[in-house]
Amino acid sequence: MDAIIQLIHVSKWYDRRPALSDVMIEIEKGEFVLLMGPSGAGKSTILRMLIGEEQPDEGQLFVQGKNVTKLKRSEIPYLRRKVGSVFQDFRLLPKKSVFDNVALPLIVQGVAEKDIRRKVTEALRAVGVDHKKDQSPGSLSTGEQQRVCIARAIVNGPVVLLADEPTGNLDPERTGEIIELFKLINARGTTVIVATHNHHVMNQVNRRVITLMQGVVLPERSAPERVGV
Amino acid sequence: MRRLFYLVREAWANMRTNRMTTIVAILTTAFTLTCVGIFLLLYVNLRHAAGWLQEDVKIMVYLDDRLSRDGRLQLELMLKSDRMVAEVLYISKEQALSEFRAQFPDDSHLLEGLGENPLPASFVVTLAPNFRSPEAMKDWVEQVQTMEGVAKVDYNQQWISVLADLMGYIELAAIGVGVLLSAAAVTIIGNTIRLALFARREEIEILRSIGATGTFIRIPYFLEGAVLGACGSALSLGILKLGFEVFRQQIRFADRFSGMEGMISFFPLSACLALILAGMALGFAGSVVSLLRVGDARV
Repeated sequence: MDAIIQLIHVSKWYDRRPALSDVMIEIEKGEFVLLMGPSGAGKSTILRMLIGEEQPDEGQLFVQGKNVTKLKRSEIPYLRRKVGSVFQDFRLLPKKSVFDNVALPLIVQGVAEKDIRRKVTEALRAVGVDHKKDQSPGSLSTGEQQRVCIARAIVNGPVVLLADEPTGNLDPERTGEIIELFKLINARGTTVIVATHNHHVMNQVNRRVITLMQGVVLPERSAPERVGV
Repeated sequence: MRRLFYLVREAWANMRTNRMTTIVAILTTAFTLTCVGIFLLLYVNLRHAAGWLQEDVKIMVYLDDRLSRDGRLQLELMLKSDRMVAEVLYISKEQALSEFRAQFPDDSHLLEGLGENPLPASFVVTLAPNFRSPEAMKDWVEQVQTMEGVAKVDYNQQWISVLADLMGYIELAAIGVGVLLSAAAVTIIGNTIRLALFARREEIEILRSIGATGTFIRIPYFLEGAVLGACGSALSLGILKLGFEVFRQQIRFADRFSGMEGMISFFPLSACLALILAGMALGFAGSVVSLLRVGDARV
């Protein structure tokens, strides 16, 4: 198996307070990984580093073999095209239709018109909101808005999908649906990393869990050991 | 194609969303550029008038009464063969007297008591267009003054120097005012773009997160700046044209300046287009100033 993500001795401080301390993580291509831990544990910092929003103070960080810490500013947009992001607050453009929101990453890349139509329709169908493509995001339920956000993240076929507390604004039923959707996307070959503090999500996913506590990675346990955590 | 359409649509959406700010930016830019335009128009017309006046400047070479006919012909030949001279016209003593009588009929009796015609014969010299600068004229006059048979050389040196100085001052003022007010226009448009950026900061954040390059994020704002500049410039030309026509009407009906309305002119079409392009460039510059750090992926 190939490592698609590697964090090697990564440390980060905010105002002299350690956010990450000597973090070592390796994630294989096609894995589904949960980044668990309470608020302030460093989950979001890792995700932000993976898309070049943050730089580690120490250590190296690789995505698909590329050292993110050595990327030029002009190269970061191209990294973000390979790494889809799903946010807790969805970050959809309220004045654009569902279709236009999902089409945005393709427009940015200069994809041809007919390919945009095809890919957006496929992505919306994959997340189950293709019948709402002409509506504005504001008219959708929170669960549907998160589905649109996921469709936007996968529309250009990223190698990695990052989700930062994707179920934070959803009820348990919608949470289950979104997790199933992530599993489906993972089954198609995309590496999925979900950062959450929700233990119900962990039980539902039942995959590899990396636990962070005050910026330190705790020793990993196998799935049976985690039952009842 | 869709990308281009998206960028143009975003620029248009920016202007529509911040309609009031857009209108204020266009108006203030227009008034600022109108001030620059007034100086430009003044400069262009004065330059035109200066050229026309300099073309009309004649140099009077008065001849010594003792100069023989042969001496006069020789002098005329010398003047005509000078490469700086375009035209030489001889005025005899008799012609000078009759011209004086025609020009000043009420004062002609003053000469009658003198018996002999006191007016000298002269050559009226027009210099070639390349030698009509104040310096060239001065040099030429100094040289001719030393020639045998020449009593005096006269031309309106002071008037030409004053005109040249005035042109220089207006040129300097136009450049100074132009630079200052252009900087003001850049600032006004820059602030408008900053407001648009603030209003759309969340959208910019989203665009960054999905892999939009800095250029892609900036283009709609560059377009907006250029459109604001062009609109401001076009409006200022409209205001100037209106003011110019009103001014021309005024002088047409004022007796003192009758006939002068034909001597003043507005900017030609090519200059109008150039001014609109200059407005566009100023607007673009305003956007560039505001967008220096936007789209930076790590910010």
